[in-house]
Amino acid sequence: MKISEILRQLGATVHVTAGLDRDVEVGVVGDLLSFIMGSAPEGAVWVTIQNHVNVAAVAVLKEIPLVLLASGRTPSPELEDHCARESIALASTGLDAFELCGRLYEMGLCGSRRS
Amino acid sequence: MSLNEPLVIEREVKPLDFLAAGETASEFKDTLRSLGISAELCRRTSIVTYEAEMNIVIHGGGGSIAMKMEEDKITIVASDEGPGIEDVELAMQEGYSTAPDFIRELGFGAGMGLPNIKKYSDELEIDTKPGKGTTLKAVIYLDSGEA
Repeated sequence: MKISEILRQLGATVHVTAGLDRDVEVGVVGDLLSFIMGSAPEGAVWVTIQNHVNVAAVAVLKEIPLVLLASGRTPSPELEDHCARESIALASTGLDAFELCGRLYEMGLCGSRRS
Repeated sequence: MSLNEPLVIEREVKPLDFLAAGETASEFKDTLRSLGISAELCRRTSIVTYEAEMNIVIHGGGGSIAMKMEEDKITIVASDEGPGIEDVELAMQEGYSTAPDFIRELGFGAGMGLPNIKKYSDELEIDTKPGKGTTLKAVIYLDSGEA
């Protein structure tokens, strides 16, 4: 599913509009950066409440095309800048992470296919 | 580039510089990609570099991180003159961490750094002395593929 369509259906606030026509099929959720580093599938949408610049560093290394901030968190200016520089889409929503993941799952996204 | 001559890149890592953290890992990844190294090996190297970099940022009081690229392997060496690791075996256990609360609130300090480095490298050596510092050496073989 296209990132732009996901954001439209969520009614999310978009902070960085890079690469919105990319397709994503997989999602991951977590607020521990090392957990995401170790376990996120490449190309996954990442749902988190962490809103500081290191989120962008992890997203770059894991080739994450879209970061979704949950629970009404807004990105720090540094995170926004870094995502823009690295062409990572960044959006936020008032939905909590549980609800947000549920919506993404309903849209057809799934978790890691690796066992 | 001649493959007989190893390519070495070394970068300084500043203490508690969370803004710059990850830049070395990104740079190494881009360098390897431009040399035609597979995406999987680029990712593994960048994860190892990032975790080692964060350890120096959080615990090591600054230091350096280097990548050496040879014909058959990539070696990451991270050194600091920080407090050292009291019990390496314990530090290798997932979930064990000595990071302070403000670090944990940023989503670091989950006790997964060293376990992640081990997971994504083929060989790992940690040389540490309490009070003197730590040198970590991780090797990734070019023919190793997926970790």
